[in-house]
Amino acid sequence: MIKFEHVDFTYEANPEEKSLSDITLEITNGECVLLTGESGCGKSTLLRFLNGLIPEFYNGERKGKIVVFETEISDTEIYDFVGKIGTVFQNPRSQFFNVDTTSELAFGCENLAMPENEILSRIDKTVSDFNIDTLMNRDIFELSGGEKQKIACASIDALRPDIILLDEPSANLDYDSAENLRQMIKLWKSEGKTILIAEHRINYVWELADHIIVMNRGSVVRNLGKSEIGRFTEDMCRKYGLRTLKRTSPVELAIEHKRNSYNNEFIELTNFSYSYKSKKNVLDIQKLRIPQNKITAIVGANGAGKTTFLECLCGIRKNKGIMYLDGKKYNSKQRLKEIFMVMQDTNHQLFTESVLDEVLISMPEENEDRAKEILKEVDLLEFADRHPMSLSGGQKQRAALACAIASERPILLLDEPTSGLDFKHMLEVSKILNRLKEQGRTVITVTHDSEFIENCCDEIIMLNEVKE
Amino acid sequence: MADKKSFLDPRTKLLLVFIEAVLVLATAGGERLVIFKDIFAVLPFLLLVTAKRYKTCFIGGAIFAAVIFFEYSVFPNSTGTVAAFLVVIVTVVTRFLPAYLMGSYVIQTTKVSEFKAAMEKLHIPDEITIPMCVMFRFFPTVKEENSSIRAAMKMRGIGLGGRKLSHIVEYRLVPMISCSAKIGEELSAAALTRGLGKSRKRTNICKIGFGIFDYLVFALAVVTLIYWILGVVR
Repeated sequence: MIKFEHVDFTYEANPEEKSLSDITLEITNGECVLLTGESGCGKSTLLRFLNGLIPEFYNGERKGKIVVFETEISDTEIYDFVGKIGTVFQNPRSQFFNVDTTSELAFGCENLAMPENEILSRIDKTVSDFNIDTLMNRDIFELSGGEKQKIACASIDALRPDIILLDEPSANLDYDSAENLRQMIKLWKSEGKTILIAEHRINYVWELADHIIVMNRGSVVRNLGKSEIGRFTEDMCRKYGLRTLKRTSPVELAIEHKRNSYNNEFIELTNFSYSYKSKKNVLDIQKLRIPQNKITAIVGANGAGKTTFLECLCGIRKNKGIMYLDGKKYNSKQRLKEIFMVMQDTNHQLFTESVLDEVLISMPEENEDRAKEILKEVDLLEFADRHPMSLSGGQKQRAALACAIASERPILLLDEPTSGLDFKHMLEVSKILNRLKEQGRTVITVTHDSEFIENCCDEIIMLNEVKE
Repeated sequence: MADKKSFLDPRTKLLLVFIEAVLVLATAGGERLVIFKDIFAVLPFLLLVTAKRYKTCFIGGAIFAAVIFFEYSVFPNSTGTVAAFLVVIVTVVTRFLPAYLMGSYVIQTTKVSEFKAAMEKLHIPDEITIPMCVMFRFFPTVKEENSSIRAAMKMRGIGLGGRKLSHIVEYRLVPMISCSAKIGEELSAAALTRGLGKSRKRTNICKIGFGIFDYLVFALAVVTLIYWILGVVR
């Protein structure tokens, strides 16, 4: 059904680097294929040929032949495959055209000018298959990331495509939402759809795949069939720079975790509660002790208010909670000066024209030599003059961490620092955090990434959903 | 977001925005139309109540009432600068507030697909409708981005009273623009793969149509217009 024959590709935006070189692949009808490999290995590029975003959206030079549905792809336009090939993208925030969920499900079908009754019956079937009655007729901006991704999958399903592409669909999802996504993929598989998934986080789909392709720098390095998939080991993952195969819920880790008895100082938090206008309390913590000078992971199910907790602790969300540090009392305004937070979307916190400036404005007193030292620590010195927005996702993350180091604030908060990172970049973040710990800082991170927790966290705290 | 069909048809809402602008904001027709002007100045408050936007309605109503109170109690007894100042406040609020509230009512109660259906029925070409739909989609996005960026600036100590005051606008705008551009790009990629713009004729499952309240609004508009024309003719 899908054939790549000796395909080479170079993006116009990045002419020095070959994005794909000599790719030859064959994918048969009804197969579920997992494409994986380090960031920039070319797995997303492969999908972009199939959904037509290359050449419609991304320009570049291609050699070789790609055949889909017995048609060679250069003869087609992006619209030829609408309805036959559907794509679920990475960012749940940016794949909706409408503001309400029901219109979103109808959107693709409406564009194809299907009759109204047909659209309505398709929506009904999708809603019952995916079990999303409660999400219908809602404002998309009020949904959580996991719920948005469900709607994205459902809106693709309503088009009834033969081929479904998923481009890092779990990058912004927590453990439970990734499990939900797995159920949806399973459903598509049972319906006989051909599925291609490009992912770093391989564990949740590993067993579903009939066929796994490991890529590196634009080439296929391993092409695993069903029998080889079962024999693939953790060590082999390390060798190819892949994330772990183990599927461990961070909540499980927290339950099994034995609280260490340090002879340690603690940061004490009292009376942290918060409620949003429309909802009841999302956060209700009477008392919490977090060890100083350690790395602590905050885990918890969806809706447990993890991000809200960080925002309250940091002080960017005004609240009545009090923090005691070294015997001193801090209210939310005073905490702002003691705590640095690296947000989940680091795009929101990089303001300046160059990476170096970014570090300089974070320092209590600007000092260029020290700033360069810090950039060297996070491996960004060669990018000192680049515009922060031109960096890759992993590099932006490290730029934000460099600012945190430069701020000299004793406490560092991170919100899902490893979502969407490959193994190598995850290790880099762990290394930087460990170095911060050695320098005497306290690190608190919200995360769903069990591999990251096992790698560098000393303590795990579970936030429970507030029940009325 | 209003469930099911909203109280007024999107076309009626567009007409109302137009009337508010002409009659209340630009005070067309002058003294003769003052009764109609008052009716249309009160209408947005009623509509906000039907949409359950009590808070907006209450705050708007309080400001409006306070200004009217000033107009009748303080204004006649004041002279000089105070009077001039009051005139400005009274005119700005009584003229702009109803139009602003009507606009916020329309934006808050109209779904993108409803708006699109209405524009299609009015035979407005896609080249105008689609960018306007995208704007509907974009307002809340920009709002979300803006509040995240504001939080980040607060955390990093950049802001009013903080350091780097001269750069504050730049620091605010750079991430705003690059985030919005990135989201816009991803948005159009996703919409293209789902066939936006593929066929000239597009289905719309959204039901719109006129109900009794729409006809009442039309009747009121027509009466106003006739009364106005009669005045001009005579």
